[in-house]
Amino acid sequence: MLIKTTQLEKRVETSEGPLQILHPIDLQINAGDSVAVVGASGSGKSTLLSLLAGLDLASAGRVEIDGEDLQQLDEEQRAKVRADKIGFIFQSFLLVPSLTALENVMLPAELAGNSEARQQAKQMLDSVGLGERAHHYPNQLSGGEQQRVAIARAFIGKPKILFADEPTGNLDAKTGEKIEQLLFQLNQQQGTTLIVVTHDNKLAQRCSRKLTMAAGRLTEEQ
Amino acid sequence: MWARISLRLLRQELKRGELTVMALAIVLSVTAVLSLSVFSDRLQQGLMNRSSEFLAADRVLSSRREIPQQWLDKAQSMQLSVAWKVMFNSMAYAKQQLQLVDIKAVSKGYPLRGQLKIAQQPFAEGQATTKLPETGHAWVDSRLLQSLQLTIGDRIELGRSSFIISQVLSYEPDVGFSVFTDSPNVLIRRSDLAATGLIQPGSRVRYNLLLSGSEQNLADYYQWLKPKLNGDTYRWRSVEDGDSPLARSLRRAEQFMLLASLLGVILAATAVAVAAQRYCQRNYDVVAILKTLGAGTSTIRKIFIFHLLMLTLLSIAIGWLLGWAIQAAVIHYVAQQLGETLPNAGWQPYALAATTGFVSAVMFTLYPLLRLLTIPPLRVLRRNLSSSLTARWLQWLFCGGTIYFLLVIYSQQWWLSTALFAGGGVAVAILLLISRGFIRLSRQAGMQAGSAWRLAMAGLQRRASSNSVQMLSFATAIMLLLLVIALRNELLNDWQRQLPADAPNYFAVNVAADDVQNMQQRFAEQDVETTDFYPVVPGRLTHINDIVLVDEASKEGPEKQPQQEVREGVGRELSLTWRETLPPNNEVVDGAWWQPNANPQVSVETRIAERLKIALGDQLTFDIGGEVFSVPVTSIRDADWNSLQPNFYMIFNPQTLADFSTSYITSFYLPAARKNELYSLLKPYPEVSLIDLDAIVAQLREVVAQVSLAIIYVLVLVIIAGALVLVAQVQASMEERQKELVILRTLGAPGTLLRRSVSYEFLIMGAISGLIASIAMDLSLALLQTQVFGMDAIWHWRFWLIGPLAGAIVVALLGRLSCQQLLRKNTAELIRHWV
Ligand SMILES: Nc1ncnc2c1ncn2[C@@H]1O[C@H](COP(=O)(O)OP(=O)(O)OP(=O)(O)O)[C@@H](O)[C@H]1O
Ligand SMILES: [Mg+2]
Repeated sequence: MLIKTTQLEKRVETSEGPLQILHPIDLQINAGDSVAVVGASGSGKSTLLSLLAGLDLASAGRVEIDGEDLQQLDEEQRAKVRADKIGFIFQSFLLVPSLTALENVMLPAELAGNSEARQQAKQMLDSVGLGERAHHYPNQLSGGEQQRVAIARAFIGKPKILFADEPTGNLDAKTGEKIEQLLFQLNQQQGTTLIVVTHDNKLAQRCSRKLTMAAGRLTEEQ
Repeated sequence: MWARISLRLLRQELKRGELTVMALAIVLSVTAVLSLSVFSDRLQQGLMNRSSEFLAADRVLSSRREIPQQWLDKAQSMQLSVAWKVMFNSMAYAKQQLQLVDIKAVSKGYPLRGQLKIAQQPFAEGQATTKLPETGHAWVDSRLLQSLQLTIGDRIELGRSSFIISQVLSYEPDVGFSVFTDSPNVLIRRSDLAATGLIQPGSRVRYNLLLSGSEQNLADYYQWLKPKLNGDTYRWRSVEDGDSPLARSLRRAEQFMLLASLLGVILAATAVAVAAQRYCQRNYDVVAILKTLGAGTSTIRKIFIFHLLMLTLLSIAIGWLLGWAIQAAVIHYVAQQLGETLPNAGWQPYALAATTGFVSAVMFTLYPLLRLLTIPPLRVLRRNLSSSLTARWLQWLFCGGTIYFLLVIYSQQWWLSTALFAGGGVAVAILLLISRGFIRLSRQAGMQAGSAWRLAMAGLQRRASSNSVQMLSFATAIMLLLLVIALRNELLNDWQRQLPADAPNYFAVNVAADDVQNMQQRFAEQDVETTDFYPVVPGRLTHINDIVLVDEASKEGPEKQPQQEVREGVGRELSLTWRETLPPNNEVVDGAWWQPNANPQVSVETRIAERLKIALGDQLTFDIGGEVFSVPVTSIRDADWNSLQPNFYMIFNPQTLADFSTSYITSFYLPAARKNELYSLLKPYPEVSLIDLDAIVAQLREVVAQVSLAIIYVLVLVIIAGALVLVAQVQASMEERQKELVILRTLGAPGTLLRRSVSYEFLIMGAISGLIASIAMDLSLALLQTQVFGMDAIWHWRFWLIGPLAGAIVVALLGRLSCQQLLRKNTAELIRHWV
C-alpha cells in the first residue's frame, strides 16, 4: 500500500466559527493505481490533495506514504518525502518565471543532488516535445507548452506518486487532450501512481479508480 | 547545489532586469556615501588648508613669553612643519621721518600655509613667492612706502639695524581683516631680530610657533604640549576656533554637507528598503514552488541568502567603481576650475560605503526575507496564502535601528543622529496619521466625482494601509528633496549677501575731516560707490568700573595678570568712532541705541565685551591723547565681521567725541579692470592710505565657489536618490494593482478609464504627499536654520504650492508610465501572467 489515510479530517477556524472542510476519510491507494478525484467546486478536492502530499497538516487522523506517517514528520522531513517520492502538476503551471524551461525542469533533480540534472532535463523536455524550446522563458510559452514543461518537471525525479490538480483546467479542450495523453503515457512508462483532480469526465474515465468528493465527504464509484 | 541554483536565479533575474531597482538602490547608497565622504573629506581638507592660510599654519601657539626652543624641536621630531613668527610694534625711521610699524620677524618655512605675494611697485598685483627677505633686507607694506614716500631700494631703520627695502609685500596670508586699524607691516628675518636691539625685557612682543602637519600628529603634539601650557601665558589656536571671517561660513558649509549627505544616505536606504520588500514579494511563488518540489527550509534559506549576498556584493563593487569615478571626475574638475589640488582621501570612505550598502541591504531585507522563508508550500494550491509571520514591529525595528546606525557611523555625532532620528520618527508617525486621514477624506470627495475618479478613490480606500506607507515614502522623498534645495538656496543667499559682487575691496584710511565731502563727491562722480565715512579717533581703554587695565609699562610682570589676554586687544590703541545711527549690519543685542542729543555714552561690540567682561551699565574710562573721560555702556551690539565694511569695537554717540580731532575711514569697490584709476582717484588726498582687500575677497570667493560646487553635487545625488525611491515605490504599488487592473480589463473596462483611474490615484497620492512634505520640510527647515545653522527661520510659502504640484505631477506621471506599460500587452497575455 502506497498511500493510506485513516480518519483524515480537515477543519479550519473562520470568523463564522469552525468549518469542516473534510469529514473523516479512509482511503487506500496502491502503487500503480490511477485515481481520479471529481466533485463540485469547493467540495474539498484540493484540500485532500494538499494533505496527501504533505503540503498541509490534517486536523485529525493520519496520512501514510510508503508506511511513513506524514503527521509525525516536521516540515523539513515532509519536504524530503516530496523530493524523493512526489511530483506535482498544477492548474496554473507554477513555473519559476525567471528560469528557462530547461532550468525549471532541472530544479527538482538538482534539489535531489542529481549530477546529471541538465542532461536528464533535456531528455525530459524532448519527450514532452519541447526540446526546441529549452531556453525559452515561461512567458514565451503558450499555456499548453507551459503545462508540458510542468509535466517534464514533475516526471524528472521519477516520482512514485504524481499529484495533479486540474492539469487541464486552464487549457482548451484540444490542448487538454494532448496533455492528458502525455500524462498517461509517462505514467505508464514510469509506473507512477497518479492522483488527479479533475472536472473533465473523459480524463476521469481513463483512470482505474474514480473518487467523488461532495461537501467534504469522499465516495468511490465501483 | 543550492549555490548553483542561487547563482542561476541571480544571473537570469539580472538579465531580465528584475533586480535592477534593488541593485540600483544599493549601488546608489554605496556611490553616494563613497563620493560624498571622499569629496567632503577632500573638500574639507582643501578648505581647511585654504583657511589655514589665515593663520599661515594649521595651528599656532602664541605667547607673550619666548617659546622654548625644545618645543619646536619636539614638534619637528613629530613630523610637523614649524616656523617662528615674532611680532611687535616699533617705530621705523626713514628719510628723517618716523612711522609706527608692525614688525614681523619670521624664520624659514613661513608661511606654512598660503603664500606671500610680492611686487616691485606699491599697490601692484603681486607674484607668489616661497622666498623670504634675505638677511639685511626688509619687505614692506605698500602703505609704508606711500606714507614715507619711499621706493624699492631705499633704506629703513629699525632700532639699531638698517634694512634695504627689497620688495613690496602685496599679500600676506595671515594679515587678517582688522587690517585697517593696524600699522603697516614690515617683514624681516628672525635671525636679524636680535641685532636691532628692539626686544627688551618688558616690550610687548608676541611670539608665535607655527605648526602644520597631519591632524593626527597635531593632536599628538598638543597632547604632549598641553600639560606644559599652565596659566594664561599661552594660547593655542586653529582656524576653526578663530575669528576668521571664513570660520563661520566654513562651519555652516560643513554642517550642510554632513546633513545633506545624511539625508542622501537615508533616501538611498529608503530606496533599498522599498526595493527589498518588492524583491521578496516577487519570490513568494518561487519559494512555494521550491518547497513543493522538496527543497528543505535550510536549502531555501541558503539559496536566498546567497542570492542576496551576491547581489549586494556585486552592487557594492559597482557602487565603488562609480563612486570612485565620480569623485575622481569632481576632483579633476575642481583642480581645473579652481587650480586646487585636493589632498588624498584614505581607505575609510570605501569601508564606510561598503558597510552602508551591506548593512542597509541586509537589514532592510531581513524582515521581508523572514516572511519569504516562511511562505507555506500550500501557496501552490491556495494562491493567496502568504507568510504567517506578521510582526510588523520587527520591520520597524530593523529599519529604524539600521537608519540610526547608519546616521551614527556616517556622522559620528551622537546628538545630531539622535535628534535627526527622533525628529524623523515623530515626522513618520504624523505623516502616517495625516495620510490616512487624507485617504479617508478623499473617499467622501470621490463619491460625487466621475467614474475614473470613483475608481481611483475606491482603489485608494481599499489599499488604505499600504497606501499610507507608500505615501510615507513619497512624502519622505519629496520632503528631503525640498529640504536640501531650500537649504542650499538659503546658504548660497547668505553667502551671496555677505559677498556681493561689489563687496568693498579697498579701505581708505586716514581721510582728513576736511576732505570727506570732497572725496564723497569725487568718488560719486567717478561712479565708485563708497560705504559710509566713519570718523576714527585713536584712544586707549584704561579702566573698566575703576579697575585698571594694566598697561604694558606696568611694573607687575604681565604673566601675573589674569587679565593678560584681555589687555592684548586693547592695550594698544583702539580705533574709536562716533555715530548718530546704528551702522548697517549691526544689531543691538542688549540695551538700546541712543536718542539724538543724549548724554555721553558708548556702545560695545559683543565679542570684545565678552573678552573684557564688560556688561551693560559698566563705566568705561578712555584716554585720548592725554584727555581722560568716563562713559557708561548703554548698548552691546553684534557686528557682522563677515561683511567687508569698517567695524568698530567701541562706538560713541556724537556728543562724546565730537570735539576730538579725527580722521575718517571708508571702504569702496573698484573693479579689477579699473585698478589703474586708483592712483588718479586718490591723487588729491596724499595723506590717505589705502588697504587692498582684493586678495582676501578673492580667497573668500574661491572658498564659496568650492562649497557651492560641493552643494550642487550633493543636491544632484539627493535628487537621484529621491527619484529612485519614487520609481521603486511606484513600481511596487503598480504590482499590487496589476492583478486588479487585469481583471477590470478583462471585464471590458476601456484602457483610457483604467489609465485615468491609475493616474488619478497616483495624482492624489502625489499631491497629498507633496503637501505633507512641504509642511514637514518647512518645519524642519525652520528648526535646522535656527538650531544648527544659526540663521533666521524663513518660511517658504512657495514650496507649499510647489510641493503638492510637483509631487502630484511626478508621481502621477511615473504611475501612468508603468500602467501604460502594463496595458500595452493584450488581455490574454495579461491573464496568463497575473491570474
Ligand atoms: N484555510 C481556509 N480557510 C477557510 N476556508 C477554507 C480554507 N481552506 C479551504 N477552505 C474552504 O474549503 C472548501 C474546499 O476548498 P478546496 O480548495 O479544497 O475546494 P476544491 O474542491 O478544490 O474546489 P475547486 O474545484 O474550486 O478547486 C472551500 O469552500 C474553501 O473555501
Ligand atoms: Mg481546487
